[in-house]
Amino acid sequence: MKSRKLVSLILAVMMTVMLFAGCTSQTAQTPSEPQKPAEQPAETPKADKVLKFGGTGFGGLFNPIMSDNTYDTYVADSIFEKLVTNNAEGEMIPVLAEWTISEDKLTYTFTLKDGIKFSDGSDLTTEDVAFTYETIAHPDYNGPRAYAVSSLKGYEEFHSGAKDTFEGIKIIDDKTISFTYAEGSAAPANIQNFMYGIMPSDYYAFDSWEDFLALNEKPIGSGTMVFDSWEPKQFIKLMKNTNYWDPSSAAKIDGVLLSEVPDESILSALQTNQIDFAQIPSSAENLEAAEALSNISIANFLGNGYTFMCFNTTRAKLADVKVRQALMYALDRESFIEAQYGKGLASVGMAPISPSSWAFPDPSELNAYKFDMDKAAKLMDEAGWTMNSDGYRYKDGEKFHVNWLVYTDSSWPGTLSGMASDTWKQLGVELEIELMDFDTVASRTMDAAPGEKDFDIYTMGFSLDIDPDPTGALFDDDAFVAGGFNASGYKNAEAMKLVKAGKAEFDTAKRKEIYNEWAKIMNYEIPHVIIAYRSEIWGINNRVKGMDLGTYRTWDQCLKNITIE
Amino acid sequence: MKNYIIRRIIQMIPVFIGILFILFFILEQAPGTPVSNMMIPKMTPEQKAELAQKLGLDVPWYERFVNWIGEALHGNLGYSINHKKPVVDVMKDYVGPTLLLSLVSLAISVIIGIPAGVISATKQYSITDNVLTVVSFIGISIPSFFFGLLLLKNFAVDIQIFPLFGLKDPLLMSTNPVDKALDVAWHLVLPSIVLGLGSTASFMRYTRSSMLEVIKQDYIRTARAKGLKEKTVIYRHAFRNAVIPIITLLGFWIPSLLSGAVVTESIFALPGLGKISVEATMTRNYPLILGINAMLAVLTLMGTLVADILYAIADPRIRYD
Repeated sequence: MKSRKLVSLILAVMMTVMLFAGCTSQTAQTPSEPQKPAEQPAETPKADKVLKFGGTGFGGLFNPIMSDNTYDTYVADSIFEKLVTNNAEGEMIPVLAEWTISEDKLTYTFTLKDGIKFSDGSDLTTEDVAFTYETIAHPDYNGPRAYAVSSLKGYEEFHSGAKDTFEGIKIIDDKTISFTYAEGSAAPANIQNFMYGIMPSDYYAFDSWEDFLALNEKPIGSGTMVFDSWEPKQFIKLMKNTNYWDPSSAAKIDGVLLSEVPDESILSALQTNQIDFAQIPSSAENLEAAEALSNISIANFLGNGYTFMCFNTTRAKLADVKVRQALMYALDRESFIEAQYGKGLASVGMAPISPSSWAFPDPSELNAYKFDMDKAAKLMDEAGWTMNSDGYRYKDGEKFHVNWLVYTDSSWPGTLSGMASDTWKQLGVELEIELMDFDTVASRTMDAAPGEKDFDIYTMGFSLDIDPDPTGALFDDDAFVAGGFNASGYKNAEAMKLVKAGKAEFDTAKRKEIYNEWAKIMNYEIPHVIIAYRSEIWGINNRVKGMDLGTYRTWDQCLKNITIE
Repeated sequence: MKNYIIRRIIQMIPVFIGILFILFFILEQAPGTPVSNMMIPKMTPEQKAELAQKLGLDVPWYERFVNWIGEALHGNLGYSINHKKPVVDVMKDYVGPTLLLSLVSLAISVIIGIPAGVISATKQYSITDNVLTVVSFIGISIPSFFFGLLLLKNFAVDIQIFPLFGLKDPLLMSTNPVDKALDVAWHLVLPSIVLGLGSTASFMRYTRSSMLEVIKQDYIRTARAKGLKEKTVIYRHAFRNAVIPIITLLGFWIPSLLSGAVVTESIFALPGLGKISVEATMTRNYPLILGINAMLAVLTLMGTLVADILYAIADPRIRYD
């Protein structure tokens, strides 16, 4: 009996196995026929006119007010249209609406263009605009854009649910709507709050917040592309919006396909025409390899952002500006840039403003802290840290020891700290490098309350807005709180005065002067040192025309001009 | 037998709760929160704190633990923070491809590994055995990211016969289910070879050593002495006894069918559970980490039970009463 049972068990296993064997052998053989099933349909004319993007990190939040990574934002920006956007120079230009700013600079009045329709055929009116911004202010809103509405008049009352109407948003008629900022928050940067896609209020109307979130994967907007389908962590398919409200500027391509392609395969995918364009991780080898591909042309431009190093100035040794400067002189950033990115793919950071901005000061007025060990040693001596026979510097019996929180999610902090441990050792500084993940660095530096910030040095990268206003970020005294972005603890009343004046100044020439003044102070004091400004490299297939990428121009902003040959 | 199974299942409940408790405790110990990585300077600390509060992070972890179990009993595993949708829905998106990939690679390893192990054992120290041994050690030692990139370089870039990434051709216009299945199968060839190689090798080694032990037993000599055919001796008498350790191996394989293969999934850009669990960990997406690990804990417990039951079936001497 038992043995019969066993035989039947083995038989069952064998049959299952055969079934799989059947499957696998089929997979191994069928495709070796001359026609490749996966490739064949690509020859139909429709698929030929689809623009193919490759990258990694799509999250599935295809909504202009919910998306929280670059890739989801690409998708949202292809499907939705904003009131205003920027041109390649970084100046604001109208998309859906023209605008005027009141005398007191507090009220922005937008007039919608004629005949705007969503892809489902319904009209885009000021009601939809108000709906979009009121949704960001909704008590249940859990996306990352609250700042876009939080300085409008009456935000607190509306957000807390105390009032049903948002005082700062007024619908004047079908085509005209005004936004009024609270007293004291006039700023030229406020126009950036109108760079979020407008959602159709009928479609997105919600009873519970879960209903609203459920539409993240089924977006409808007024843009040149409509959403077709998405396979999580594989691809997002967008199709041309055949009902686009302005037929003269409708898309000239049939769709956009955004595929999940790992960094390791980006170059291969470009080489084999499996994708048309992608950002290539910036390094000298990658640039060289990409330049060798005959089917690809390269766009190489300055990225809008910087990497920085933060000194915890609440620690006595790092509170001394001479010590901070000495550490910078003893850091060979030019060699670091060459080792990490390759020559020409990054430049030494000086001011906390992108060199692409109109606000960037004349570099000759700034100190690049060129590698100089003698100067570093001299500054350390002046600060009272004297060299001991054991090769380290001491002051009042205390050895100069710093720790550096290095996250391993990207490679540059490791390279930089590795080079520092060598040159700083020569300077007489004992450096302890602590490796961890990004979240841990953020929680030990920014999240921790002042006094509990458990680090001497950490490094990170930031991307920037077009407007140079630094409020709320690394250099804001008020951001030295638990969860704030200024972990250095450095405070400077004069610099803060400049930051506040710069934020509220509408005259660009005067504003530039203010920021130049501020940049010079920060370049001398260096509580946060700007390490490098990096370039982006993009590979674009030669069959794609009209994709003019730049610091302030992303590919989704070129969609109307792109053609495929 | 029935009583045994029921008793085992009841015993699993406290073990499972214990696992969850440890999970909650470890997550609580990890520095950082889901809002730590939001690098948006325009976001004020108050707005950040409000988001944390909406995620329920202001509640102590032991309270969250009790609440979670209460909700889980109603089938609600919470909302994935990054995906802004229910954890169950997120897992549904990824469980299919993971299961497909692991079943195919498991099939490959069972079909190749076990027979190769038997051959290797019956012809110990022969050339076949030596070749198989060398191959299996290569299979165990070669890092999957290297092997995967090697295959991609050769078969997807140099000779472009296999696709470079993904599980489906998004531009496939055909609606014929056979075409669609072939397309998926086509995309799975390289990843399942990479994933299957390591386990094939380990199945081979387990089978070989287990067979070698059995073959030296007296009853095998007796069987041969009775004049049975060599095939009968090996496959009906020896293999049946040698299969028990392999069943243990298969039992432990059940959770790994769904835990995903992070490296393979990343290299071939496959939408699997392995990759999202790493992502969830890096961004402290607590609800998703808990959901995935709770599922794996259940599968591990079930896997050991299934293995125990299979012992009894394979070996009549084992009884649970």
